[in-house]
Amino acid sequence: MDIVPQLVANSVIAGALYALLALGFNFLYRTVKFFDLSYGAIAATGGYTVFALSKLAGLSIWLAAPAGVLAGALLAWLINLTIYRPLRARRASNLVLLVAALGVMTILQAALAIIFSSQFQTLSASLSTVVEIAGGVYTVTQLVILAAALLTFVALHLLKRTRLGKSIEAVADDVEVARITGLKVERITSAVVLTAGAIAGLAGILVGFDTGLEPTMGLALLLKAVIAAIVGGLGTAFGALFGGFLLGAVENFGIWQFSGEWKDAIAFMLLIVFLVFRPQGLVRR
Amino acid sequence: MEYLIHLGILVGIYGILGLSLNLLVGFTGLLSVTHAAFYGLGAYGAALLMVEAGWSFWLAWPAALLLAMLASVLIGLVLSRFRADYYVLASFGFNVIVFSLFLNLQSVTRGPLGISGIPRPVASNLSFLLLTLAFGFLTYLFCRWLTRSSFGRVLKAIRDDEGAIQVFGYRAAHYKLLIFVTAAGLAALAGALYASYITFIDPSTFNLSESIFILAIIILGGLANLRGSLAGAVCLVLLPEILRFVGFPSEVAAQMRQLVYGLLLVVLMLHRPQGLVGEYKL
Repeated sequence: MDIVPQLVANSVIAGALYALLALGFNFLYRTVKFFDLSYGAIAATGGYTVFALSKLAGLSIWLAAPAGVLAGALLAWLINLTIYRPLRARRASNLVLLVAALGVMTILQAALAIIFSSQFQTLSASLSTVVEIAGGVYTVTQLVILAAALLTFVALHLLKRTRLGKSIEAVADDVEVARITGLKVERITSAVVLTAGAIAGLAGILVGFDTGLEPTMGLALLLKAVIAAIVGGLGTAFGALFGGFLLGAVENFGIWQFSGEWKDAIAFMLLIVFLVFRPQGLVRR
Repeated sequence: MEYLIHLGILVGIYGILGLSLNLLVGFTGLLSVTHAAFYGLGAYGAALLMVEAGWSFWLAWPAALLLAMLASVLIGLVLSRFRADYYVLASFGFNVIVFSLFLNLQSVTRGPLGISGIPRPVASNLSFLLLTLAFGFLTYLFCRWLTRSSFGRVLKAIRDDEGAIQVFGYRAAHYKLLIFVTAAGLAALAGALYASYITFIDPSTFNLSESIFILAIIILGGLANLRGSLAGAVCLVLLPEILRFVGFPSEVAAQMRQLVYGLLLVVLMLHRPQGLVGEYKL
């Protein structure tokens, strides 16, 4: 059997997840202007919310999944309200925000481990029906991930045409000018944080269906989101999409050459190569 | 009593880690989140030299120190291209890469099984405590000397205004690399002590959360204040012991520890970003 079609399939699947995360991360970064290191932990919380509601409380998945997305959005909003917003109001440096974000990440990860134990959990196998496309095998979950990434990209693109989207662009370009023209900067930031949190929650749930949940998964998800966003070019949705798929491909073809354990190291080598040789990423704004 | 000695040794080891990281974060303004990588390189270097090659502790730790310093030259050269946010992110990345080396280079590091049967230079815990404290004290004196020297003043100048000090003809990149390598060497010393004290190491000790923990120590104690780092080490090593007495099961207690460190970082950033006795704010 030829291995390349399956490698392509795996690259597309991994890439779709990274692209989804990178889209959310990038959308958030454009406005808050710092690397929110707690982003992956928010995704993990979304996944675990669904786990709690569907597996432990017995709720239908069609109710639990939206609740998980909502949980991601609300958590991100709450963290922004209680921690990042006061820091920004004080004009704290980005390093202060980064350290606070490291703290938030540690808290969420530990809280998930205390509530749900460090055991590996899976959400459900009902979506694991297999489909074959162009010589590669995909599960239905994986196709949902692909659809989610593409739909999110389209949705973020359409958002730009609305009034809210234009306000977001204005705040991202220049907060001071946006404030002077009468935009409610903090409200717009909240809208961005809610949206980004919802995307994270969705990604976390999909990971739960595809591979499973563990409390430390947030870190890996965050790293992939950041790497994809930077490689693609921070600040552009198209870059995030492109970077996600590129990272997926590099990882999977890298695993083929070396072995599975080196996945994270390969991803980081890609980041460092880009930071050194092309820090602005592939797609320019 | 044995228990107190154990805590004393841990305080000594984390004191060395805190002091060395403070040279970077507090005195030079380089927010590095990769300290556990050098701590681990020291531990693995010393452990392998003692277990596989049969070296004595007194030969193994300087060799491990050199190994970590060599690695830090490479890492430091790459990191020197970045600033602020990107510096943090890239240092983050190196911790992940080095951790994945510990975990996956199984032929050398024995992967997740870890290395056991690491010999100790002194048999009793009390003598080991004295040894650790001696190393800790020497580290403190060294850091004090370094930060008060003209070299240390250049570091602080780089932290406060890198552009200005370059105008005076100082090559900031050289200074930043030198201090990075120095800090890595000291972290490796702490690693060698740790490996030899516990007599067993595995990769999980040297992951990113350990780097965050060391960062929490110096931020709590105070940036650019050496005694603050020691105070931070005392507080944060003893804190989880209190949690243990509250009576959580051990797995939960370990997570509670993490929870408390995270909370501490957030609260400090919100209310006292310079830490208890810090002289520099991030």
